[in-house]
Amino acid sequence: MEFLGSIWRWFSDPTHWSGADGIPQRLVEHVQLSAESVAIGALIALPIGIALGHYGRFGDLAINISNVGRALPSFGILVIAFQVFGLGDFPIVLSLTALAIPPMLTNSYVALREVDPDVKDAARGMGYRELTQVLRVELPLAVPLLMAGVRTSAVQVVATATLAALISGGGFGRYIIDGLAQQDPIKGFAGALLVGLLAVATELSLARLERVLVPRGIRLLKAPAMQRTATFKTA
Amino acid sequence: MNLKLNSWRLLVALTALTVLAACGGTTTPSTSKGTLTVAGFNFPESSVLADIYGQALAHDGYTINYKLLLGTRPIVVTAIKAGQVDVYPGYAASELEYFNKGAGEATSDPAATTAKLNTYLQPVGLVALTPAAAVDANAFAVPQAIAAKYHLTKLSDITPAIAGQLTFGAGPECPTYKFCLPGLTSVYGLHFKAVKTLDTDGSLTRAAFKNGSIQIGLVFTTDADLKALGLVVLDDDKHMTAADNVLPIIRSAAASDEVKTVLNNIDAKLTTADLISMVDQVANQHMDASAVATAWLQKNNYSS
Repeated sequence: MEFLGSIWRWFSDPTHWSGADGIPQRLVEHVQLSAESVAIGALIALPIGIALGHYGRFGDLAINISNVGRALPSFGILVIAFQVFGLGDFPIVLSLTALAIPPMLTNSYVALREVDPDVKDAARGMGYRELTQVLRVELPLAVPLLMAGVRTSAVQVVATATLAALISGGGFGRYIIDGLAQQDPIKGFAGALLVGLLAVATELSLARLERVLVPRGIRLLKAPAMQRTATFKTA
Repeated sequence: MNLKLNSWRLLVALTALTVLAACGGTTTPSTSKGTLTVAGFNFPESSVLADIYGQALAHDGYTINYKLLLGTRPIVVTAIKAGQVDVYPGYAASELEYFNKGAGEATSDPAATTAKLNTYLQPVGLVALTPAAAVDANAFAVPQAIAAKYHLTKLSDITPAIAGQLTFGAGPECPTYKFCLPGLTSVYGLHFKAVKTLDTDGSLTRAAFKNGSIQIGLVFTTDADLKALGLVVLDDDKHMTAADNVLPIIRSAAASDEVKTVLNNIDAKLTTADLISMVDQVANQHMDASAVATAWLQKNNYSS
């Protein structure tokens, strides 16, 4: 109870809500670092994943390469990038981008690969050109799986952006590192709590975005399909 | 039936293993006087000091485990309080201000500072031994260009107007640590344009000086590379920093008379000049800390 009280006091202290070390400023820094990394990662991963998935080629290669990316620890990349590029946001964004790419690449490849070949045939039969077919037929069908990749990336990046504070960057990681150094466990815990909340908020808002992006037809299709499987299984 | 038999066998085997493991844990080699764990902070000087303490104790017949570069003071202190560490090389004033939660009781007198420190250590089952002559104090440095531009040689040369144009950089503990930013504010009346959180005299601080994102920063008096980096240490003319003499912090339970004698003998010989040259060898010439420690011990007649 005493601990919860201290946490409450920390959050209700007005000095923690203003200035360069205030929660709003740290939130902006955290979101900015994460958003930049996910956006750059998406610009790299999604076109490659979509193209490879559409043609159904080099999928193993893409997935294997991106799995190597998964195996590289962000902290390691951060330290090496700091040695090469020095102080600043660049090494942080670089290491977070490397973290953001693999889930988006793998998911977008699989999402396009899984589009029903009959639907593709039908699109071609109706005279769609290749690019139009990808954009108007395959991509809408691939949205749920593709967005799942974006969501995974974003949540991972938000959680990992705490590393920024290790090389003098901003964000909520600042509270965790500073709390440890200043013998202020409440500050550290508050930082961890804020990161957790931001990760959940990221997940929820991207889930909402996904619902907007999924075509109505697919949304309607889903419910009866599940019911069908259910009846099939009980029969 | 068969299955039951197997699970009985498994149970017996596991019990036997547990008993064996427990026995193995308590027996120590008869040749050793005991096992001690020596820890160090996460900077090179601390590794050398921990190695010197460790090797001297090993020379005396103890078995030594090392936890070098363990972390910052909060981490090392937590470990020694939990009994995971037996001894670490501390700094009189910094340890005192850590254990008294920044009450500002440290002075420039190492003996008095250590006596005060021991009043805080005793209740938590720790003890500080005799401080060495070697001092590693916090110092504040500026690039030569800044020193020339504003005519700075000592900290009191920084006027409030100049401070308002300088960005200050130091480790994350600095804003709450008496001999760092609060001291600069209360003793010298300095309010900097901005404060950048970096590390305590490590590669982040050096990178920040290099790319110009800070103009004044915290360094250690034992740094040997300041000249090469083009940094000038400003004289602490109002004696803000306190007696940061090297001294071993040890668990009372592990502090036998023999251990105390070994460590006090080391401290009696350790000088600031030794520290500067050893830190230079480890941090700048990238020599192995334990080899540097061995060389110091051999020079001081500890060779076996």
